Amino acid sequence: MVSRKEVKSLLGREPRFEDIMCSLQSMPILPKGMVRETKQAIAYARRFNDEVAKPYALEEDRKTFEDPDYLPWDLVKKANKWGLYTMFIPKMFGGKGVSMPASACVIEELSSACVGIANVALVHYLGVSGIMTSWNVSLANKVFREVAEGERTGEPCIISLAITEPGAGTDVEETELIDKGKVTCHAEKVKGGYIVNGTKIFISMGHVSTWCCLIAYTDLKKPSENTVTFAVKTGTKGFSFGKHEDKMGQRVCPASELIFDDCFIPDEYVLAEKDQLKKFKKSVKEIVEQYIHYVVSVTRAGVGAFGTGVARGAFEDALKFASETEVDGKLLINHEWAQSMLAEMYKNVSLGRLSYVEANYANGLPGGIYNLTQQKPNYYYLKYAPSSIIDRFVSPLLDSDITSWIFRKIFTDGQPLEAQQRSSGWASLAKVVGTDMGVKNCQMALEMMGRAGLRHDSGTEKRLRDSKLLQIYEGTNQLNRINLFANLIGRSIPQSKSFEE
Amino acid sequence: MIATINTELKPFEDLAANFATRELTPNKEKNDKYPFGEFFDDVLEKAYEVGFLGTTLPEDFGGIGQGMGALCVILDNICQSDASLGGIIFTNAASQELMLSAESKDLLTRITSNATQAKDLLIAFPAFDNPSETKNMADAKKDKANYILSGNIEYLVLGGLTSHGLISARIPGQDVYSLFLIDLSDKGVNISDPIFSLGLHACPSVDLRLNKVKGELVGKEGHGSIYFEEVSDKMHVAAAAMSTGIMKGSFNEALSYARQRYQGGWEIINWSEIKMMLANMAVKVKIADMTIAQAYQGVENKGTEGGLCSRAAAIHLQDMACSLTTDGIQVLGGNGYMKDYGQEKRFRDAKQIQALLGLTPMKKIRYIEKIIEQ
Repeated sequence: MVSRKEVKSLLGREPRFEDIMCSLQSMPILPKGMVRETKQAIAYARRFNDEVAKPYALEEDRKTFEDPDYLPWDLVKKANKWGLYTMFIPKMFGGKGVSMPASACVIEELSSACVGIANVALVHYLGVSGIMTSWNVSLANKVFREVAEGERTGEPCIISLAITEPGAGTDVEETELIDKGKVTCHAEKVKGGYIVNGTKIFISMGHVSTWCCLIAYTDLKKPSENTVTFAVKTGTKGFSFGKHEDKMGQRVCPASELIFDDCFIPDEYVLAEKDQLKKFKKSVKEIVEQYIHYVVSVTRAGVGAFGTGVARGAFEDALKFASETEVDGKLLINHEWAQSMLAEMYKNVSLGRLSYVEANYANGLPGGIYNLTQQKPNYYYLKYAPSSIIDRFVSPLLDSDITSWIFRKIFTDGQPLEAQQRSSGWASLAKVVGTDMGVKNCQMALEMMGRAGLRHDSGTEKRLRDSKLLQIYEGTNQLNRINLFANLIGRSIPQSKSFEE
Repeated sequence: MIATINTELKPFEDLAANFATRELTPNKEKNDKYPFGEFFDDVLEKAYEVGFLGTTLPEDFGGIGQGMGALCVILDNICQSDASLGGIIFTNAASQELMLSAESKDLLTRITSNATQAKDLLIAFPAFDNPSETKNMADAKKDKANYILSGNIEYLVLGGLTSHGLISARIPGQDVYSLFLIDLSDKGVNISDPIFSLGLHACPSVDLRLNKVKGELVGKEGHGSIYFEEVSDKMHVAAAAMSTGIMKGSFNEALSYARQRYQGGWEIINWSEIKMMLANMAVKVKIADMTIAQAYQGVENKGTEGGLCSRAAAIHLQDMACSLTTDGIQVLGGNGYMKDYGQEKRFRDAKQIQALLGLTPMKKIRYIEKIIEQ
């Protein structure tokens, strides 16, 4: 038919085989244990929905209207008790080590009950990703083990990620924009650490977090090359909380203002800084860009799962309503137009799910963030080795500087640009598809249900309010479309330029 | 903008625009907190004083006797600032139109002639229903000259504000329904707390439980759906005007924000993606204006075609408003999602308004059925 050389050449054409068949390439190399693990995670999430998310969703939402200062401490404690804050932290860091792709499935499940509670339970992994992808495994080990300890003691320890600023939302998500943007969170190097000044806004779960993964800049005129990331603990002198926002939806998950006023952060809490990054083949700017892409490759797929979950919840509301309600003398579900709408909604859910699953397959391919932990020997060792063995033989190694250097070497210089583009492009695609489907299905459900869906006690109107935020955070869908273009389309057209006009 | 086509409407546009700027815009965030905050009684009273609660009510009944054009202009301008008051004006106008359609002049006169404040004039009505569709109605038994009503009515708009309720009920042995006026202060009426809804927070609704409540027949027995369809032909364009107002408010807010917010070193209005979003919004607003102008004239000319214009305008513009207000938030990014700006409220209100007068898909089915009948 065609020679090997021809195959390589033909499949290298756009769209490249390796970019469009992520699942097909992944399946033969993935450990089978991931299937069982994912089934168990989904089942566990459904039980959490039955016992926590569904019973509390409307009551908690209503409380936030009655009391604008309400914070979800009780829910945080429940999520902690259920082990959700350590579920996807690798075992070597004291977590349960369920594979990260399964987290997206759990997100979908919880979001089908309540997106707000899903965030209370799982947006913590945005902070986890921010710390993990700094590849400072020593500090990650310290922070993550505090999370595990918080679970043991019943005093929740969760992590937030602080990047958005009052004058810079989209800009901070893209190194091509950030140097032209108006970032103000400044980190000044002083003896023994940094002094940080500035404000972060819209920080999910900020007020109820124990640790914050903070992004600041040593030079505000050239932030892309002067980014420094910290792990900052609540209670640190000079670090305080301002207001939490009065949002349309996802109200049970506070969006906080974080204020840093001459806040001294010692060197030991620096996750990554310029001097550490100069030791690699890639430039500092490239590594900062890579850092952002690593984080969003995980989190945007997750937001796609949030969107898919809310789309599913809206579909389930509409299906229940149509099955129980007579319109024009017969059950709504027996109107052909209603069956067609329900089929469309089911299709939207499926498209959202396929997209985030495929994005996570992309993350598992060589060069993807999950590839190392999904390699069978690593996967099975970490899965089946008793925690006591891991704690005794692996954890001590994590505290060594050389270990962080090895991780950084593997994940910075070891990641080809093509892999970064594939993962980031697919994550943006999943985010846009899932969240658009989420909003769309909520709108369709409300059209089908009319006034019955508009009332708070139906739960459906809340889904619409909740869903809209998904099109905005983790980069607006507009930014994500441009990121998708830049990474999977524009890259092969030399004359195309993105993020500049 | 509609007033540029019909200059007679200009005074109503000016009146409503000034009212919105003065009375609604400064407190729109506060007023939206109802039922967890206070109700804007003072604003409602002022709306009554300037005649907004009797725009289409004939002068004989104490109204200002204008056509649907004036009502559309008022709703358009009011809803640019706060659609909740628009919801009150719309519901009351629909109730009045139903009573006029049923020629229940005595009952209507009794209400209007005794009115000394806004709440006296209001008539509560389940404005989010087409009673034929979902059977949101009570049972009515004839008792000599009166009717005794029992059963549940969901989502009675304005129910907590006034003592006059216009509801549907079925008389045993009849497949069709009738309209009845009930006294909501009757001891047999159990009224729920205000329903907390997606949008139009300050246009309160309640659920009713009726236990042997006296009802006065409005019009003829079994003619409820006839009156409803007749009034729907008119009122759909008014609902469309509410959506138009929301679209204008959302577009103007987005345009203003895009001129001020920086991204990538310059105002976001300079990014072509934002320009494209704003362009799509601007086109929708212009089309909405033109559609309303055509549709209200169709209604005022009466005839079947006017009803079709009105219904098509509502179906189309309500959908456009849901789409436009989604982009209206998006242009503002995270700020658009917060209550400090008006965009999230417009997004919610647009969706709520889409449900006025019944299920959206059923409105489409009825629309084509009317064409098929012709």
